[in-house]
Formats: sequence, structure tokens, C-alpha cells
Amino acid sequence: MEETSLDYLVYKTMREYAKRLVIRNYVTAHGGNLSIRSGNTVWITRHASSLEDLKPDDVIRIRMDKPVGFDIVASTETPVHLAIYRKSSNLAIMHAHPKYAIALSYFYDELIPMDSEAYHVMKRIPVVEGSPGSQMLAENVSDALSKNHAVIVRGHGVFAAAKFMDVAYQYLVMVEHAAEIIYLVEFFKQTGKKFITPKIF
Amino acid sequence: MLYGWIGKALHIDLTEKKTKIIELDKEVLRNYLGGTGLGLKLLYDNYDLNLDPFDPRTPLIFAAGPLTGSRMFGAGRHSVVSFSPLTNTVADGLSGGFFGAEMKFAGYDAIIITGKSESPVYIYIEDETVEIRDATYLWGKCVGEVIQTLTNELGRKFRIATIGPAGENLVKFASIMNDRMHATGRGGLGAVMGSKKLKAIAISGSKKVQEADVNKLMKLMEDVIKIRMTWNPALNRSLKIFGTSALVNVINAAGLLPTKNFQKGVYEYAEEISGEALRERILVGTHSCWNCPVVCKRETKTDKARGDGPEYETIVNLGSMILVKRIEDVAELNYLANELGLDTISLGGTLACACELSDLGKLPEKIEWGNVDQFKELIAKIAKREGIGNDLAEGSKRLAEKYGAPHVAMQVKGLEMPAYDPRGAFGMALSYGTSYRGACHLRAWTISFEVIGIPMLIDRFSAAEKPPLVAYLQDLAMVYDSLVMCLHYGNEFDEEPLADVLTAVTGIEYSKEGLLKIGERIWNLARLINVKRGFSRKDDMLPPRILQPLDEGPSAGKKIPYEEMLDIYYEVRGWDKNGVPTKEKLRELGLIGE
Ligand code: SF4
Repeated sequence: MEETSLDYLVYKTMREYAKRLVIRNYVTAHGGNLSIRSGNTVWITRHASSLEDLKPDDVIRIRMDKPVGFDIVASTETPVHLAIYRKSSNLAIMHAHPKYAIALSYFYDELIPMDSEAYHVMKRIPVVEGSPGSQMLAENVSDALSKNHAVIVRGHGVFAAAKFMDVAYQYLVMVEHAAEIIYLVEFFKQTGKKFITPKIF
Repeated sequence: MLYGWIGKALHIDLTEKKTKIIELDKEVLRNYLGGTGLGLKLLYDNYDLNLDPFDPRTPLIFAAGPLTGSRMFGAGRHSVVSFSPLTNTVADGLSGGFFGAEMKFAGYDAIIITGKSESPVYIYIEDETVEIRDATYLWGKCVGEVIQTLTNELGRKFRIATIGPAGENLVKFASIMNDRMHATGRGGLGAVMGSKKLKAIAISGSKKVQEADVNKLMKLMEDVIKIRMTWNPALNRSLKIFGTSALVNVINAAGLLPTKNFQKGVYEYAEEISGEALRERILVGTHSCWNCPVVCKRETKTDKARGDGPEYETIVNLGSMILVKRIEDVAELNYLANELGLDTISLGGTLACACELSDLGKLPEKIEWGNVDQFKELIAKIAKREGIGNDLAEGSKRLAEKYGAPHVAMQVKGLEMPAYDPRGAFGMALSYGTSYRGACHLRAWTISFEVIGIPMLIDRFSAAEKPPLVAYLQDLAMVYDSLVMCLHYGNEFDEEPLADVLTAVTGIEYSKEGLLKIGERIWNLARLINVKRGFSRKDDMLPPRILQPLDEGPSAGKKIPYEEMLDIYYEVRGWDKNGVPTKEKLRELGLIGE
């Protein structure tokens, strides 16, 4: 791949954000996937590629409007990504498996962030169901992302979508941070200390 | 009853010396708004699209929009639409000041001028009174003198748009100047005006723009517009303090300040021509356009002269592009260009091209980088089309072709590139390449995302994200240029608040999606006119220099995958591989029937 080609530039962006997910411990060995859309072209991480060390060949170019041979090696979550692109004007998607969000998804149908930043940006983070790669997951996630910046799949992970990868990344980090805060607050409540509701939020 | 719009255009035929009022179709106004959208639609529906720009039948259309002259801030603007003698494309130019609002007060959404007078004339408009008056005594005069003379004769309430000697002499990048300092600069529309022997338009009106829901508009202005303006650092701080010149040091630090005809992206004397230098050394006052609290216009003074500007684009094109080292010299070159009625971007680009041709030994006379006195002489010669000035008056593309080195003309479609080297912000490559009037920065100012970080900062060297971003910004710019509102407000206000304001002013329910669709329709209409004039993918190419990386500075070593980006851009637009809008797209936008 020529270092000045568009594919390579996309790869560099994907590699950068994959690395950030790894540093944050949001993905396990071969978990997580990313994609970018421009026109009818979608670049998505390869099935079973490792975000820990993404190679140029791990970014696959597929199409929105027609099947291509490379579909076969694209991430198993490809139908979810394409469904999101079809239902919204998002152009970048990030999927990872952050721990607090997954843990809390067993107890909530939606998270209402308790920290002000996530609350003002996200308002709510819905929790949906569906097994990886399934049509049901594609529909539930894309429905949720047509109205929200991010969604948690119960027991599985988080999808975040935006116009740019950096913004999708911000949303994903915000979800996990919000989940961690909720976890810590709930945990701390067990001590019997009085909970103080902020007057200004 | 119409709100926002007047519903009328004034048609003036200079050959027949006749004027008439045209009732504008409400559906057209609703779907094309005004300004650029209305101008393009009137051109498309009523005129031969293959006319030569200087053919007397070619219309010169001044168009205001539904917000022009309303209570909304930054809406004193108008658009001028015609064919460009520099690029041969369809072209429009947006100008601030007071002229646009005055058109509405006089009772016109548009003024359409066709034909050609035998002797110089100016048009006098006071509400319904329209006269074509002799302007022999004004012919040959510079902009300031024309405006002063007409103001003395007619009174201060008249707003005046005029050409300088450059427009009279059909310099291909002649501008139209209004209200002294505001320019319809790009594409040589001043020469179209000159070709009609029309020196000036003086207009005054006594009416008010009717707003449908004044309470809603006032509430929006208080709760949304004013508040968001205070928190936007560009609108509330840097434009107020420095004007657009704030950008010089920022763009230089990122390594994309066009220097020495785009040979470099960093200028060692940037500090000396910066907004800071302007503010410390030559600033004497500030001005604004009609009803605008931003007040970004600068009045300046050097030892030798006094005048307006320079804006950022001028500072670069008459500064680092031609290696002028002092803000005082840039300002004086700018005063001269404004007085003669020349577009300063094309002027600087053409001078830079001439310097490089001279380095290559291709010109019959030596033209030196940084030689301010020589530049002053050359500018005067360009406006008069004297000597080598006659060649330069044709713009860089024709100049470089004539002297056998077309690659040194830094232009797209013949329009000189503005003041951002796309190698340091890849979105600008598409912005320049795909703009219908040639290399233009205004229709997708991706710099806001790629360098400034408003509303967000994205990777300036990424490529895949840029085609959809550029298409979106172009559609939004079409909305702005048709409302007509100042694009500086685009730093803060996207389609959503604009739809609310437009709904309040016109009483017609506009959604944010609907407004962007209008922008897309107008963009496609302009493309369609260009396609009919023979333009296609081949004309969307950038100069070869821009497709090779810069050698030094913070943007060095970056190569733009331009053709790949262009493929995707066409796809995003729904155009074919050759850049022609598909039938499906045109049908979807209502540009052709079912
Ligand atoms: S921001 Fe500047 S250019 Fe725009 S309307 Fe206001 S004063 Fe005029």
C-alpha cells in the first residue's frame, strides 16, 4: 500500500484510534472494530484483526451500495456498521468492550449519566440486546444510534458513532466514564453515607 | 403577503435604455431563497447558458436574500451572479456593506442588468424611480472618487457600487466595489459591468423588510444568536480584535501559508505582515457591515496613505506570495488595488506567477520578488492594460500559458488560489478543486475544522473524512450565500438556527434538513450550468505543484491523494465519474422533471 494513498491515510487514522482503545483497556486480544464511511465507500477493520497492532492489510475497503469480494474478510460486525450508516448521517463508528459499561448493562435498560459532561452531551445511553453479527443486533444498534451518540449491547460492549472518528472516540470514552461513575456512586451508597444531589448540574 | 422577500426584480436593459419590474415566482423564492440561489436560477431559466461573459446579452444579476435587510445580524449582504471572464464558468461574488440591504429597502430582491450602453452610464434607483444616467464624467475615475462624487451629488443616503478603471478596461479579475471598502472580488465581474459601459449603481430606499413573526425572531436573537455569539471565540474575540488578519500567524505556524507562489508553506517575515503587526502599526479604526456587532473591518494608515483592510487573503497574496516584508507595504498595495477595482487574491496570484516566470527567464522584462515600487507600477499598468500589464490583466493562467510555463499558474479553472496551501489542510484541496467558480476558499472553509478547531478539530492530513465534510460545507455555504448572510457566522451557526431564523422571518416552515437540501440544489444547479458550458472532471484538477509535497515546515512531506478524494466526492454528490450530476440526483433535487 502506497504511503500517500487514501487507503493508507485511513489506515493511519484507524491504527491511531485502535491504539487508544487498547491503552484504555477497552478491548481484549482480537476484540473491537472500527469503520469510516466516505460516500459509498466504507473502511472497516478485518475480521479477527488485533487492534493492538493493526496492519495496513487489516483495514478492508467495502461498499455501501453493493457487495464486494472483500466482504468475506471484513469484521463480523460489518452488518451492524452498515445498518448504522444507512439509518443515520454518521461517518465513523467505534466498537469496543469496556468493562464498567458491560457490567452495568446487566442491571439497567438505559444509563442516565451522573457526571455533568456526559449528561449534557449524551443525555441517555440506551442498552439493547442482540448476539454479535446478528440481524437483530444490527437493527437494535442502528435504531438506537439514529437517536443517540452511543449504545451499550447488553453483556457485549459499546457502539459509538459520529461524523468523525475523534468524536466517536470521545463518545465511547464518555460512556465508560459515565458507567464507572454510576458504579462507584452505587457502590459508595452501600456505606450508608448521605447522597447529596447537586443543586446546579 | 410576502415576508422576508419583496417578490420583485428590476430588469434594466442598457441597450434599449428600458427598465421593467418582474414579479418573482414564490415557489422559486421558497426553493432557491435569494442571493446566489436566486441569481443562478434566474440565469438558468432565462438566458443562453453558453453566452460569452462580455456578450451584451449576458446578465449581471445583483441579488439580495430573504434575510437581507431584516433584523438578523450579518445580513446586509448581496450576491452578484454572471459568467466570469476569468474562468468562463458561472460565477458569483458576495459582498458585505450596506448595498444589499438598501436594495431591499428600495423594493427589489434582484436587479438584473443586460445589454450594453454606447457611452458610460450609471444607474440611479430611488425606490420606484429608476434612471439610466450619463457617467462620462466618472469614466476613468478610481473607486473612492466615484463614490465621493456620487455621494456629494445624490446625498449620503445613497449606497453605491462601482467599478474602477480595471473594470472599464476589462481586466479579467476586476472587482465591483460597494460602500467604499466592500468588494465583489472574484472572477472579474467588474469587467462584465465594464463591458456594459456601466460605471456604477446608486441606490436608496425607504421601505422596511417585513418579518412574519417579530416576537419569535426577537426571542431567537436574544436566546440563541446573541448568546452563542458571545461564546464563539472567532466572532466574539479574534474577528473583533484583529479582523481576518488574525489568521496570518496561525496559518504560518501550521506550515500552510502560501509563500513565493506556493513554493513554500512558511514565511520568515510572517510576523511582520501579521494581524498583530497590523494592529500595532497601522490600525486607525474599525467598521462593520450593516447591522453586524462583530465589526471585523479594519481602517488603516501608513506614512503615505490611508485606506481599508487588508484582509487576511490580501495580506497573503500581496505579502508572502510575492515576498513583501512589511504590513505597511501590503496595505499600500491593497489600497491601490481597491482604488483601481482589482481582486487582490487574483492580483497577488498573478504577480507571483509573473515573478516566477521572470525567474525562469520567460518574460520580456524582469519582475522581482518583493520589489514594492515595481509592484505598484505593475498594478497601475494592469488596470490600464499597458505594456506587460496587458498580459497580467488576463490572469495567471493565460499569462503562464502565453509565456510557455502553464505549471507556474497556481489556479483552478483559471481562478487564482486563495491563502491556504491545501498540502497543509487536505479538505481545502477539494474545496478549491470543486468550487464552481474556480479555486475558492469560501464555499468549504475546512480550515475551521482542520486548523482552527471550531466546532471541532480533525486531522488536517486525513483524506477519507474530507469529501463528505466538503460537500456539507458547500451546501451550507449556498444557504448562507442565498439568505444572504455573512459566512463568518458559519463559525457558530449551522443549518438548524438558520432554519429557525428563516422561518421566523418568512413565516414559511423550514427544517434544517430542508434548508441543506436547498443548499444542495443550488450547488448542483451551478454545476449543471458549468457542465453545459463544457466543464467536467478535467477542470477540477489542481496545479501539479500542489500534488507534490512541500519540502519544509510543519506540513512538509504530505501528499494529497487528490484523485481518489475527488472520486469519493463525486460519489457523495451523486455525480458520475466525470463530475456530471446524474439524472437521479437532478430529479431528486427537482432540477429536472420526473
Ligand atoms: S462579520 Fe465582518 S464581514 Fe461579516 S457582516 Fe460582520 S462586519 Fe461584515
